[in-house]
Formats: sequence, structure tokens, C-alpha cells
Amino acid sequence: MAKYTAMTGNTAAYNGAALCRPDLIAAYPITPQSSVVEGLAGLVYGGKLDSNFVQVESEHSAMSVVQGAAAAGGRVFTATSAQGLALMYEPYFRMSTLRIPMVMAIATREMTSPETIWSGQQDAMSVREAGWIQMFCESNQEILDMIIQAYAIAENKKVMLPVNVCYDGFYSSHLIEGIQLPEQAEVDAFLPRHDEYAYLDPAHPAALDPLTPGELMMKYRKKHLEAMQEAKAVIEETDAAFAAHFGRNYGGLIEEYKTEDADVVLLTVGGMSGTGKDAVDAAREKGIKAGLIKIRFIRPFPAERIAKALAGKKAFAVVDRSVSFGWNCGPMYMETKAALADADEKYCSFSAIGGLGGADISFEYLLGCIEKLEAKKDQPGKRDTVWLMD
Amino acid sequence: MNYLDVLKSTKNVMTPGSSACQGCGGELITRRVMQIAGENSVYAIPPGCMAGAGVDGWNFSNGCSAPIHITLLDNTASFMSGVSEMYQRRGRTDVNIVAIAGDGATADCGFQSLSGAAERGTKMLYICYDNEGYMNTGYQRSSTTSLGSSTSTTPAGAAINGKEQQQKYLPLIMAMHEVEYCAAASPSNMPDLVRKIQKGLEAGKRGFAYLHVFSPCPTGWKFAPDQSIEVGKKAVASNMFPIWEKENGQFKVTVNRNPISVAEFVKGIGKFSKLTADEIDAIQEMVDRRYQTLLHLAGE
Amino acid sequence: MMTDKRFVTPLGNDGIYCLDTAAWRTHRPVMDKDKCVNCGICMSFCPVNSVYFEEGQYLISYDYCKGCGICAVECPKKAIGMKPEGGK
Repeated sequence: MAKYTAMTGNTAAYNGAALCRPDLIAAYPITPQSSVVEGLAGLVYGGKLDSNFVQVESEHSAMSVVQGAAAAGGRVFTATSAQGLALMYEPYFRMSTLRIPMVMAIATREMTSPETIWSGQQDAMSVREAGWIQMFCESNQEILDMIIQAYAIAENKKVMLPVNVCYDGFYSSHLIEGIQLPEQAEVDAFLPRHDEYAYLDPAHPAALDPLTPGELMMKYRKKHLEAMQEAKAVIEETDAAFAAHFGRNYGGLIEEYKTEDADVVLLTVGGMSGTGKDAVDAAREKGIKAGLIKIRFIRPFPAERIAKALAGKKAFAVVDRSVSFGWNCGPMYMETKAALADADEKYCSFSAIGGLGGADISFEYLLGCIEKLEAKKDQPGKRDTVWLMD
Repeated sequence: MNYLDVLKSTKNVMTPGSSACQGCGGELITRRVMQIAGENSVYAIPPGCMAGAGVDGWNFSNGCSAPIHITLLDNTASFMSGVSEMYQRRGRTDVNIVAIAGDGATADCGFQSLSGAAERGTKMLYICYDNEGYMNTGYQRSSTTSLGSSTSTTPAGAAINGKEQQQKYLPLIMAMHEVEYCAAASPSNMPDLVRKIQKGLEAGKRGFAYLHVFSPCPTGWKFAPDQSIEVGKKAVASNMFPIWEKENGQFKVTVNRNPISVAEFVKGIGKFSKLTADEIDAIQEMVDRRYQTLLHLAGE
Repeated sequence: MMTDKRFVTPLGNDGIYCLDTAAWRTHRPVMDKDKCVNCGICMSFCPVNSVYFEEGQYLISYDYCKGCGICAVECPKKAIGMKPEGGK
């Protein structure tokens, strides 16, 4: 039986990782992720988790050590944030392009400068073209559950890609929520023990990653993109299988909240989704037909499901906790617009940017977005980017 | 076993036809390491001359008859830490974990991961073939390039005459990591090199072993390919590249009582052709001081 | 098992990449067996492993020898000479 308890997002993350029985963990401390590493170290040093724990001197080495261990057939885990993710970019990109599965938690944090240590999603958003599957969590339960699901997705033979489980630094990483903590046996039944192929093994000698000319490189990239698309079905199936085992599921690529009869829709990413749902409820009390789409996976981008969920709606706003420097809007707004393609011009829409560097995305801000959509819903067209600040 | 018997009885693990230059010290060192470590090993060779020579494979082919990975230029030691940990975890401690990297991947951008793996006591052997520059990409300077060397990024010019700094002496830095085994060797002293490779492999089963090997480069340094071993001999004889080892906390230096001068060493090597007398003096002063330090450490 | 992995994880396991480095040679080392004392120094210093030991003597293979000439320089008995390949 699962145990009902309460814990922070970081505690949920390390418990989720531990339940997946990783062969090896390598990590370097960075705010706000550090307590994930500390928690795992506590379990390993306390004899409660049989994993090799490698204390590295940087995130670049954290990703390199897990890469080596995964290439030798291990199930591996690490976690990071912001500058740490930036430092590990080189082996990070290579992890996905080597098509080696693993899971990394990101307690998301704003990128410096101005100097900051607080929340924001710019770190994970900025690496969305590095070939990883990336998903964002709303609740601490979702963090724990998605780390378990992420291994199942990553190791699926149709996918074979590493997965980021992202959650908002401080807002999720450090705040305590109630959690159903599964038993080890329940997780073992859902996620079989890892028996991954070791690419580096004298028993079957091979060069891992020989020098590859462009004509062949093209084929590898095409396959990688195809796997990313195949992952969409695997993500939905994994969520359904998880529900069968644990009685909880999250909607797969996206979660829809009261969208069925909605005229105006907020699209959110991560922890702000809870506030967004409250704002939708409040708007509905005022007679506004509001709904919410939680974009759970940003890679692969759930274009089809978002287009379908928005079909027949009048207006939408995408709330981003990060920016797209080249588009004067948030990145998920840009991608949502791309997902709508020709239908885009039928909608009234705008990008909302908030919560950078730990700023609050308040209930009032999100209700304000819904009201603004409601006011303009019958006048299709793109509106100016809204900055959620005073 | 006599070193010749070792070389006679071991299999050529590296591809017989590599694109390393004629007389390449790196190829000689890599072949010796791979034939002694053998096929029951996992190798890493980051970008550099030996990767460029094809040892890491090409298209769908391997460049050797053992498992190998072209690590990133700067993560060889940390990647191999992960490999080593998995082999220890699976109880396959018979497998040699061996990295063979140039000085750029070792002393420059790879130094952080190397230092980390050494400090952790990762069970592996890390070999640096030090040709004192980024030779694979056109002889750019590295931190181990010696003073006054004319390289493609420190050309001997009218305003600045080659590299302005003395070389960084990496092997001693590695020795101070309290590693299981640390040694400096030269292929010109083959019995010594073979013995140190064997010791390094053995020590690499207990902890971190580091071997820094002088790698004469005819193409980059501009000398005739048939002179590689001669250049190695002179580097050792002049104390430009002293050979020593540290095990069980003890330094042992191959004592060179009557060194030849630096001026004698640089003769005939193209990259040193524009050296001034002052620069030669400065190198000589550094070489003497460094050698005295080593003797002192060894209690000689 | 690896066939269906092609273009997934890049792997080189179809034989050994090998260049015809013998074609680089302008001069070939030729051993004078009368002078050779079987010391093995040529074998120990050959960067290409083109010197091998068979039936009690050291021999030179020309399959991959690049003709660097190290063996000729290092031979203590001057038993190896570098001869022009001559119109090969």
C-alpha cells in the first residue's frame, strides 16, 4: 500500500528517482536542486538505496559520468538547475543524440543575468532543441509519478531518448504537499529492473560514436525526429498504464481543465497551472466560459492535441515563465501559434510573460488574462505581449 | 617478462592502418598501450590526433578490436568514471578502463574532469600523450607547449617570438592528487614505458593511475619523421622531459647525472628555430629548477 | 541485434577501419640479416607495428609500413637501410 505523506518537490523527486532503482547517480549541488542530491546521498550513504553515487566536481562531469555509466548499461539519474544545466550543455546534447535513455530532474530557475537564484523556466526552455523529451510538473505528486513514468518512456524501444522532468524551482522544489508514496514493489511491477544494452563491452566490441559523415548524420537526425514523434503515443500509453497501476494519471501530453464548453482558454506550463485553474473557476463564477490547457510536454510539442483542444474556441493566452528573445513573446506562445498553423487567424490571442526570477504569477494576473480574452474574444487577431507585473 | 617478450606476445589492438603521420609518437604510444591493455578493456580517446587517425572508428567501422568511445574533448575522465563505476558494480573488475588523450584534452579543457576523477580515486588508467599542442587541428599552442615554441597560434613573429609562457607541468600536479600511481615516461625509453603501462594498468584496478608520456610530433614540431625517438631521447637527456614515477607515496626519479643542455635539445627542431639566447636560458633555468624539485621529492 | 539499431545509436562494429598506409611510403626499410643481432629494438620503436617476430627472427611487414625510417635510425647495428620505392 502506498503511504500518504507530505514532502517538498525535491523530496518527491529524489524519492521518485530512488524508487526507480538507478544503478548510478552523479550530481553536483545547485540551488534550488541541491536537496535532491542531498536526499539521494542520504539514502545511499544510509544503506537504503543500492546505487553508485558519484560525487562530481561540476554539472559537466555529472552528465558525463551518467553518460559513461549509461553507455556501460546502467540506469542513471541526475538533477540540476539553470547555470548547472548551461554548464552541462555539451554532454547534455550528446546524451540525446547518442539515443541513450536516462532521466534528469530540473528544478527550473531563471538564467543569470541579472544575477538571480530564483524560479523561472528559462533554463529548461532554452535547451528545447537539444533532443531531449521535456515535461513540466504542476504538483509534487506529479513530480514523483513522472520520474517513474519518465524511465518507462525513455527506455521504451520506440523512443530511446533521455527525459527531463521539470518543476518550478522553490514554488515546487521547496514547498510541501501531500503525496501518495508508492511501495517499492508497486514501482517494480510498473517499471521492470533495468537490463539495458551496454554499448561499451568487450563481450561485443564496438566503437560508440564513430566519426560520421553528413550523408549518414542526416539519417541519424531523421530517426531522432521520428522517435520524438513516436514518443507522443508512448507518453499517452505510459500515462494510461500508470493509471492502471497506481490509480492516478495526468492526461499525457496535455491536461485539459474545463475546456469542453470554453470560449477563452489559458495555456500554462508547470506550477502556475494550479493558480490558473483557480482563476478559471473564478471566471466561471463571473459567467465567463473559461478553460485551461496545461502543456505538460514541451518536447515533443503536443501540436495536434493543442490544436484539437483549441478547436472551436474563440480566444487564448499562453502564459510563459520564460521569454523568446527573438519573438517578443514567450516560447510556448510562439509554438502554440505554430501548432495552429492556418487556423491561427481565427483566434484572438496573446502571449503573457510572468514569474521571471521568482516573481509571482498571481491569481489576479491570471484572472486578468482571462478577462482580457473575454473582452476581445470576438475580435480575432494577435494582441501585444502582456507582462504580468505591476 | 622482458619488455620485448611483452611486445612480441601481445596483439595489435589498434587498426593496422591509421592515418597518423609518419613517425608519430602518439601512434607509437597508443599502440603500446592498447597491445598491453588488450581487448578486455574499454577505451576512450577524445578528439585529437589519435581520434583523427581513426582509432575511434569511421562510419560503421571500429578503429580497434575493443570497445571504444570518442569522448568529448573535455569529459574523458568523467565519462570513464561512469564506465568504471558500472564495471565495478557489475563485478567485472577484470576489464581495464583506459583513456588515451592528448595534452589539450588533458591539461587544458579536460583538466577539471581529470582532476575530479583523480580526486575520487576512480579505478582507471589515464594516459596523456603530450605532443605539446593541438597537433591534430594544425599545431595550435596548449598549456604544455614550451616557451618560445612557434605554433600556429603563437607564431614566431616580429612583435612576439612564439609562445610567451613556460609549459604547465601536469604530471606533478596529478601526483599531488594522491593517486594510486603517477608516472612520466618517454617512448624513447621503451622498457621503462612498457613497465609503466603495466604498472598503470595494475594500479588502475585499485584506484586512479595517471601516465604522462612524451609524444614527439614530427609534423607539428618540424623535424624528420625518422628522428622521433632521437628527439625523445634528447628530451629525457636534457631534462626537458624527466622520467619518474610515484607509487605508495614515494617519488622515484630516473636520475640523469649528466644532462645535455636545452640548447642541445632544441637543435634541429623547427618550432624552436627562432629561439633567442635569452629564451633558451629561461627554459634552461626552468628545466633545472623543475628537475631539482623532482630530485628533492625523490630524496635524491 | 544491432541491425535494427542502425541510425539510432551510432555504432561502429562492421569490421576495422583501415587505410592503405603502405601507399604513403617513399622509402622502404630493408633489413640486412647478416648485420641483424635480433635485439628487437626496431620492433619496439615501430609506430605502426610493422616489425614482427617469427621463427626466431625479426621481420618487416610492408602491408602498412609508412616508411618513417625510425627503425633504420634506431638500429644499433645499422642493419636497416631505407631504399627508394622506385616507381611502385
